[in-house]
Amino acid sequence: MRYLMLVLSTPDDAEVGSEGTDGVPRIEDWVDRHYGSGAAVLGDRLRPPEDAVGVRVRGGRVVVTDGPYSETKEAIGGFDVLDAPDLDTAIAIASEHPMAYAGAIELRPFWPLEVADAAGGDVTAGGEPAGAGKGGA
Amino acid sequence: MTAAAAAAEDAFRSEWGRVLGAVARSTGDLDLAEESAQEAFATALRTWVRDGVPDAPGAWLTTTARRHAIDVLRRRRTESEKTATAARLAAPLQAPLQDAAPDDGPSDPDGDLLRLLYTCCHPALPLEGRVALTLRSLTGMTTAQVARAFLVPEATMAQRLVRAKRRIRATGITFRVPPPALRGERTADVLVVLYLLFTEGYDAWAEPAHDVAGGVERRALADDAVRLVRLATRLLPDEPEVRGLLALLLLQHARRDARSGPDGTTSTLAEQDRSLWRDDEIADGLRELDTALAVGRPGPYQVQAAIAALHCRAPTAAATDWAEVLALYDVLLAMTPSPVVALNRAVALAEVHGPAAGLAAIDDLAEEPALVGYHLLPAVRAELLARAGRPDQAAAALRAALDVVDREGDRRLLRRRLAALTTW
Repeated sequence: MRYLMLVLSTPDDAEVGSEGTDGVPRIEDWVDRHYGSGAAVLGDRLRPPEDAVGVRVRGGRVVVTDGPYSETKEAIGGFDVLDAPDLDTAIAIASEHPMAYAGAIELRPFWPLEVADAAGGDVTAGGEPAGAGKGGA
Repeated sequence: MTAAAAAAEDAFRSEWGRVLGAVARSTGDLDLAEESAQEAFATALRTWVRDGVPDAPGAWLTTTARRHAIDVLRRRRTESEKTATAARLAAPLQAPLQDAAPDDGPSDPDGDLLRLLYTCCHPALPLEGRVALTLRSLTGMTTAQVARAFLVPEATMAQRLVRAKRRIRATGITFRVPPPALRGERTADVLVVLYLLFTEGYDAWAEPAHDVAGGVERRALADDAVRLVRLATRLLPDEPEVRGLLALLLLQHARRDARSGPDGTTSTLAEQDRSLWRDDEIADGLRELDTALAVGRPGPYQVQAAIAALHCRAPTAAATDWAEVLALYDVLLAMTPSPVVALNRAVALAEVHGPAAGLAAIDDLAEEPALVGYHLLPAVRAELLARAGRPDQAAAALRAALDVVDREGDRRLLRRRLAALTTW
């Protein structure tokens, strides 16, 4: 299974230094370990959201904008492509990334076109809000 | 009922999860596992009457279910090979097909159950889906039964289960024990789901069972939860918090016959007829608690069980060791800072240091968002105000509690209290 691992930062989070302090892993160690093992496949830093270019098609026209569409405070600061046997392995790898400590990581499973049954309308990425309440309460 | 039919029904209750877990592990497909398990039990009903009950019903059922799964996978593959597009789909099915051979690897029924439990309680699934899936997969309850217990239409529950299963596939959740780095949190996640199940049932025991929709079904959830947590202690014998949760459930559930009066009014701990408490279950709970505490790794469930144990050990409400209860609530609050725990602590504080101390602690909680609309906050306040000799304010607090209460048994209790205050 392949996962896109998004590295998020928010303005409120403390900066993660390059030194491994307070139990925060060092990025160099993370890269060595998981790129070394082959579980992490491809990754890079991204330019800040101000430099993002949005592309949409509306009414048959391509609309290009000079900024992100996201309305949340988090900005995608980088990504890695993980090749992991299952979600738990991917979660374990993500949880070792320094930005999991001061920002956030989002895992997005790859969605190969061949998988027909994944086309169900319910399976929007991110799914339903977690903890939508206990049933029937 | 014939002996064979009784054996089949018995096996259904005790083996459903194992059969499902075995097929889920080898095929990675929960839907197929469910269908195959159902098929195996239907076959058992037919053939056991004719040929007798096999020596190992569980193994027989698992083998039968696996054979069915293999047949389905073969059929799917044959069908899909008919078109070029579908042929590409067949490739990923070949591996599970081989895995699903009935004689693959040593059978590991408990391992299958544990993997199934971790999967159903996976935090990447919505919480209500986890709860429903756990019930459906581990107890064999039908979708209709799960729906009744959670007071939702069957179609809603079916949709909830379908979504949870789709998400298992879409996100790549597999039937496995979590990697060591995640195991602690994941075990805690399992306990959250099981405790939530219990709470649904436990709350129903303080309700008039026959006046409230789904009362009987909801009450049964408490028994299901106790069984599942007991199972979890067998699967995870080295986790004292699992055993702590079992002790907590046993001690709370042992009071069930005393928690609702004959007129359907909730009986508080102080009012309960303690002769109705089930002594054998209390003894069982105390033993489990001692075993858990002996490990020396305390946690919130063990502390809550220790508090429940103090109540169960007191021959009368007046004999309760409130100083010890208060000390344990301090420990619990340090472990899990929660306004509900703080409210319970305020009750203990009032017992030890008087109603004024309790009222002061409650006033600190008035602004807690988590307690807005929670009837027990004004209800406890009313009780302490009455004890402090301020009946007018107590009546006002009772009216505030009645405005928000959403449980019939508690509503009747609050009304009775208000009537007693105003005729006084």
